[in-house]
Amino acid sequence: MADAGERRRRVFVTGIGLVSPHGGDPGNAFDRLYRGESAIRKVRSGTAELGGDALLAQAEFDPSDVIPKLQLVVMDRVSQMAVIAAHRALIASGLLADDTGPADMGIYMGCGLGGSQALQDSYRVYFERRSRKPKPATVPLIMANAPAGHISMRYKLKGPSHTYSIACASSAVATGEAFRAIRDGYLDRALAGGTEAMLNDGSVAAWEVLGVLAKEHPDGPGASSRPFAKDRSGFVLGEGAAVLTLEAESSMRARGAVPIAEIVGYGASSDAHNLTQPAADGQVRAMRIALADADIAPEAIGYVNAHATGTTAGDRIEIDAIKQVFGDHARALVVSATKSMHGHLVGAAGALEFAITALALRKGRVPPTANLTEPDPECDLDCVPCVGREVAGLEVALSNSFGFGGSNAVLVARRA
Amino acid sequence: MSSFAHIQETLVSKYGVKPEVIKPEATLTELGLDSLSIAELMFDVSDHYGIDIPDERANFNTLGEAVAVVDECVKAKGG
Repeated sequence: MADAGERRRRVFVTGIGLVSPHGGDPGNAFDRLYRGESAIRKVRSGTAELGGDALLAQAEFDPSDVIPKLQLVVMDRVSQMAVIAAHRALIASGLLADDTGPADMGIYMGCGLGGSQALQDSYRVYFERRSRKPKPATVPLIMANAPAGHISMRYKLKGPSHTYSIACASSAVATGEAFRAIRDGYLDRALAGGTEAMLNDGSVAAWEVLGVLAKEHPDGPGASSRPFAKDRSGFVLGEGAAVLTLEAESSMRARGAVPIAEIVGYGASSDAHNLTQPAADGQVRAMRIALADADIAPEAIGYVNAHATGTTAGDRIEIDAIKQVFGDHARALVVSATKSMHGHLVGAAGALEFAITALALRKGRVPPTANLTEPDPECDLDCVPCVGREVAGLEVALSNSFGFGGSNAVLVARRA
Repeated sequence: MSSFAHIQETLVSKYGVKPEVIKPEATLTELGLDSLSIAELMFDVSDHYGIDIPDERANFNTLGEAVAVVDECVKAKGG
């Protein structure tokens, strides 16, 4: 244990590693988002017989520089992306030496579906080839904690390696729990984030029938994710991994590292309402708990990176929840939905959006809600339509993540 | 015909093993494989030849022994 019992140490983000629909360089990804660039494309998904055109936000990456072939054989795409994002986070924070990270480092990862390609492959063997012999590595390929395990093995990180599977809130919870562990003295540093790779056709089809995916907009695939807009029709599935290096102030100062932002609060709650329909009450409580945890008044918040997936019901409920929490100050907030451009990364969404929030604080600029040409009258806050904005004096921001199952997680960050 | 050439090619192309270390007397562990990747290799090879290696024959150590088991199964299949 680092300093268990020593309460409320300050915790900083000292590195960000991405494998995202907007690429692997956080600065470049942020700039593209700030310019309102969508990474959503129309992709032919599945087999000739069963497949169809799907709107997806895919993440391109080449694992060969980081992961030896021998390891790739037993690694699903979801783990490959996680290891590469972790690699980049360790390098960005200056903690990678001789291909090894600090032995005392913990790993807190979020993941919704695990190795879904391996799962699909194993069922294909069973049902198509009528064989009970899938690949021998099928179970370790599928298991949701494989990404954390691979990161631990690859970089010799020997702190706790935990995986949180809480649908769309997975990696926000992972980041929040890592923050608490460091703040409360159980750890000095951790890799925290999430990974998700489920753009295979079996998974895409399952999302399609749920009725939550966006229809293609007449202006093209990039215009199809339209949070807060009057004509929104749902979200677009994305994939990727986002990993942040979190460090106690003492650890960061001792090695002269430069913080990107400070993480100051975390709140979690459950709706106890419905498996897929959100509820304002649970979201309100999560935001209030996070603000209380940060010991920050609502009026101090300048920016909210909204969960806002672009569903008809969800966006209105979140706006309602924000109004309840912030009262009159809600009108002074800037609120944006970056899912309009990078899609919904499910288990990696919270960490990616928290990384964007941290970068927004550092740069004093907020990415827009793309495609918000005509707002829903019920989503009547300042949702930064279409064009990114410089926000003078931006000091504190909040990132919302609300998951299926009625789980809500909110992170609060402060300019470092 | 021996399966050595095919296994050698698979080890190089899919498992990233350096060609110069691949020798019949080398153990699969010496080539860098662990129990899981050895199982995957034998799965790939069995799939390629359409054979089924009985569990009681899957106790080889060296590459040469693995090749002999595969060759035996291929022969038994009539290949």
